[in-house]
Amino acid sequence: MISYVMETRRRGLFLGVIVSVIALLSGCAIQLVSSYDEKTDVAVTALQRKFESFFVKLESLKVPPACGYEKNKSFYDESKVDVSAIQVRAAAVPLNEIVIEQAKSLFENLERLEQLHKLKGETRCLSSDEIQPLRQAFTSSFIAILKLELAKKRGQAK
Amino acid sequence: MALDINAVAQSMGTAFLSSLKNDAPSIKTYAEEEGKKFAQSLAMIEALKIAGKIDEAEAKLHLEIQKNATRTVFLTVRGLGALAVENAINAALSAVRGMVNTALGISLL
Repeated sequence: MISYVMETRRRGLFLGVIVSVIALLSGCAIQLVSSYDEKTDVAVTALQRKFESFFVKLESLKVPPACGYEKNKSFYDESKVDVSAIQVRAAAVPLNEIVIEQAKSLFENLERLEQLHKLKGETRCLSSDEIQPLRQAFTSSFIAILKLELAKKRGQAK
Repeated sequence: MALDINAVAQSMGTAFLSSLKNDAPSIKTYAEEEGKKFAQSLAMIEALKIAGKIDEAEAKLHLEIQKNATRTVFLTVRGLGALAVENAINAALSAVRGMVNTALGISLL
């Protein structure tokens, strides 16, 4: 009885290997990374624009309390919703673990930016010297996510 | 007609390596360019701390933001690498599909 079960399993495994090889050779291409997702592309592009507008605004608001956290809280609230939407979309797409991790990193950085802004209190502004590396970090993040998304346009115009 | 295993392996290997060689340089360039930008940002943060324009808690948050952004970039490098491998595997399979179809005497496409 046991040897019958083992023999059946061995034949099944052998058949599975043959079918896999035939599937591979029959024009079924390998896919290791998710397909291009236009909605993610559009959402990340829009979010980058929002962040850039925010940094430009902060650079021009050199005097508290206009530059303070409380007067700019809406940016953080809205951006958290935007990033959360990107996370949900990324999680719904198969083979998309990298973008899920990237969206998580983006959310964490948004929270850190918010903490940094809060630390300034209502009497200090984020200076232009501080905004420069912050802008660089977020821009690099957005470019990274978009670069990978666009690279997924296999065989399509990129 | 018997399948020439050596010929199949050689064709696959050549196609695989050729495809990887095509994709690798642009990934390397991207990683290096982003690495330079982060190094510059870290230098800016250090200068701000030394000049007393930011305190320790603020410097720590700045550094965490840079670290996380670097992570996002390297995740993309990993993704581009996976896409390069995917392209290489598919190129290798494509290179031998005709050979295998002929040897087996049936069209699998």
